[in-house]
Amino acid sequence: MDNLLHAFALALRNIKRAPLPYLLTVLILSLGLGMFFSNATLYYWLNHDPLPQKSHSLFYPQINSVLQPCDSCTEPMRVLSYQDVQKLSSSGIPSAQAAMFQSAGYARLPGNSDVSPTPVRLRVTQRDFFTLFDVPFLHGERWADDTARRELILSKASAERFFGRSNVVGETLRLGNELFTISGVLQDWEMLPRLYDVANGLNSARSADIYLPWETAFDLGIKSNTTTMSRDERDYSDNFAVNGREGQFYQAQFWVQLDSPQQVTAYQQFMQQLVHSEKEAGRHPRPEANRLTNILDITEHFNARNRQLDAFALVSLLFLLVCLFNASHLSLNRYLASQYEFGLRRALGCSRSQLQQLILADVAVSAALALFLSLAVAAAAMSLIASLLPATRNLTSWNPLMVLTMAGTALIACYLVTLYPALRASFGSLNRQLK
Amino acid sequence: MITLTNLSKIFRTELIETHALRDVNLQVNEGEFAALTGPSGSGKSTLLNILGTLENFDEGDYLLDGKSVKGLSDAALSRLRNEKIGFIFQSFNLIKDFSIFDNIELPLRYRGLKASDRKQRIEQALELVGLHARRDYLPGQLSGGQQQRVAIARAIAGEPRILLADEPTGNLDSLMARQVMELLEQINQRGCTILMVTHDPEQARRAGRHIQIVDGQLHDSTLYQPLAAVQGA
Ligand SMILES: Nc1ncnc2c1ncn2[C@@H]1O[C@H](COP(=O)(O)OP(=O)(O)OP(=O)(O)O)[C@@H](O)[C@H]1O
Ligand SMILES: [Mg+2]
Repeated sequence: MDNLLHAFALALRNIKRAPLPYLLTVLILSLGLGMFFSNATLYYWLNHDPLPQKSHSLFYPQINSVLQPCDSCTEPMRVLSYQDVQKLSSSGIPSAQAAMFQSAGYARLPGNSDVSPTPVRLRVTQRDFFTLFDVPFLHGERWADDTARRELILSKASAERFFGRSNVVGETLRLGNELFTISGVLQDWEMLPRLYDVANGLNSARSADIYLPWETAFDLGIKSNTTTMSRDERDYSDNFAVNGREGQFYQAQFWVQLDSPQQVTAYQQFMQQLVHSEKEAGRHPRPEANRLTNILDITEHFNARNRQLDAFALVSLLFLLVCLFNASHLSLNRYLASQYEFGLRRALGCSRSQLQQLILADVAVSAALALFLSLAVAAAAMSLIASLLPATRNLTSWNPLMVLTMAGTALIACYLVTLYPALRASFGSLNRQLK
Repeated sequence: MITLTNLSKIFRTELIETHALRDVNLQVNEGEFAALTGPSGSGKSTLLNILGTLENFDEGDYLLDGKSVKGLSDAALSRLRNEKIGFIFQSFNLIKDFSIFDNIELPLRYRGLKASDRKQRIEQALELVGLHARRDYLPGQLSGGQQQRVAIARAIAGEPRILLADEPTGNLDSLMARQVMELLEQINQRGCTILMVTHDPEQARRAGRHIQIVDGQLHDSTLYQPLAAVQGA
C-alpha cells in the first residue's frame, strides 16, 4: 500500500517535472484514441447482435414470384407482395410470423381540430411483430388477431407527446382522417441495428411512433414510404383495398421465427413445395430462387453495409497507429531524460520488477488522463459524424462494457507507448549513467 | 569478504574491443579501507561497478562473502546491492526534486522497511553526517560538500557492509574533501569495508591499503596490512 502510494506520487511528480511534453504525449494519444473510439462505437452498434437470445431463429423468406417471365432474373425481390405474404404465412410452421412496412402519416387528438396535426412514423405490421422482436409492452397488449381493426399501438414517447401521460389504452387518436382506439403502449424500445428494416437500408433509423394493423393499412390505402414496386399495369392510387391485395405491388418485409433446425428445414421444404405448386399453376414463370436468410446475415444479403462507416473505422485505426507512434517517440524522450534516475534506483537496490511497478503506475495515471480526454474527443467526433451522416445519430451511446473496453484500450495504448523506454530503463547498462 | 579470481572485463563495440580489466586477482578483507588509484581509463570505475554488481564480467569469478555472484537473478542481485553495498559517486547523484530526507529514504524503501523504521535510520544517518537540520532541504540548496555528505548518509542508512566510492571528493575543494574523508574514516572505524577510487596521493596514503591499477591490471597491492592493524589506526 505504502509502495503503491509512493509509485503514484512519483507518477504525479513525473508530470510536474516535464508538464509540456507530458501533456503533449497524452493529448496526441487522446486524439488517436478518441477518433478510434468514436468510429469503433458506430461500428460496434452497427454490427452487434440486437437480439442475442433469439437472433439465430429469425429468418427472412423470399420467393421469385414476379409473374412476368424472365429467365435471367435469378434474384427474388427484396420486398414481398400481399399475395407472397399470404402464401408464405400459410405453412403453420413458424412459432411467430409478421409482415410489415414503414409508412408515415399525421396524427392529432380527435377534439382538437384547430391544432395542426403532428407528423408520425408508422409501422404497418401484424400482431406477431411484438413477439418476434421481443418488444415490451408498458400498457395494454398486442392486437387480438391479424384481422383489420381500428386499433393503434403507440410508443411510450408518442403517448406522452399526444396525451401527456403513458397509460392511454382506450383513448382515441385521429390518424389521417380516421379515428382509432389505442390498444397498447410500448415501453421505451429501440432495436439497433434495426435489422428488421435492412431491406430499406434504414438499419440505424429510430423505431416507429405508431403501429398500425396490416389489413387496416390495405383497407385505408396506406402504402410504404420507402420501397414500393409494382410489376403490373394496375392503378395503385385507386381502390388499393382490392388492387393492393390482388396486384403485384411489392412493399412488404416478412419475418418468421423458426426455433429449431428441424423447423428451418421444414420451412425450406414448404417454400419448395409452394413454388412447385405455383409453377404447376403457371404462377411462377421465373427461375426458382428461394431464400431464407437469418437476421444476422441480412445486412450482407441485402448488401446494406454502410461502407462509409467501414472506411471511417479503418482510417481511424490507422490514425491511432500514427498517434501511438508519435506518442511513443515523445515518451521515449521523456524517459531518456530520467534514464539516469532509473539507473540510480537500480544501484540502490530497486529490482527490475519494482522498476516496472513504478512505470506501470506512470502508465495508469496517463491512461486515466488519456481515457478522460479521449472520451471527450470521441463524443465531439461522433456528433460531427452524426451531423454528416444523420443515419448514425442513434448509434452514439456507450454502455458500461464499452467504457470498460475503452479504458482497457487506453491502458494498453499507454503501456505500448512506454514499453520500449521502460525496457531500456530496465535492461540498459548501469555503469554509463552513474558518474 | 571480496575475492576476485582471474577476473576479466571486455567492452565490445562494433569497432573495438576494450580490455577494461585483465586477469584481476584481489582479496579484500572485512573492515579494510582500500584506495584505488590509476590513470584515467585504467579500469577503476569498471572494477568498482563490477564489485557493486552494476556491471557483469566476462571471465573469472567474483565471490562476495564466499558466494559467487555469477548466475544470480536480477532480484537476488538487487537485494544484494540493497543490503550489502553502499555507493558514493563523484557527482553525488541525488534526485534534484526530492528532499534530503526522501533521497536518503530511497534504498530503505527497496529494503521493505516500515515508515517508522525508515525514519529512525534516516535520522541516525543525518546525525552522523551532521545535516539533521537540513532534512527538508532540496539538494540544490546545499553546498557540494553537504550534498556529498547526504549521498554518504544515503549510502550508509541501510547499514551496508561495503562502501564503494568512485572519486567521492573529485568535485570538492580541499576543505570539503577533508571533511568527507574524515567522515569515511569514521564510518570505516565502525567496521564498514571501504573501497575508494581517488586521484589524490594524500588520500591514498591515508587509506589503510593502496591498490594501483594500470591498463586494466592490478599492480601490486602495496601497503597491504592485516585487519588488526587497520582497526588499530
Ligand atoms: N560502457 C562502456 N563501453 C565501452 N567501453 C567502456 C565502457 N565503460 C568503460 N569503457 C572503457 O573501459 C576502460 C576503463 O574505463 P573506466 O571508466 O573503468 O576507467 P577509469 O579508470 O574509471 O577512468 P577515469 O579515471 O577517467 O574515471 C576505458 O578505456 C573506457 O573507455
Ligand atoms: Mg572512473
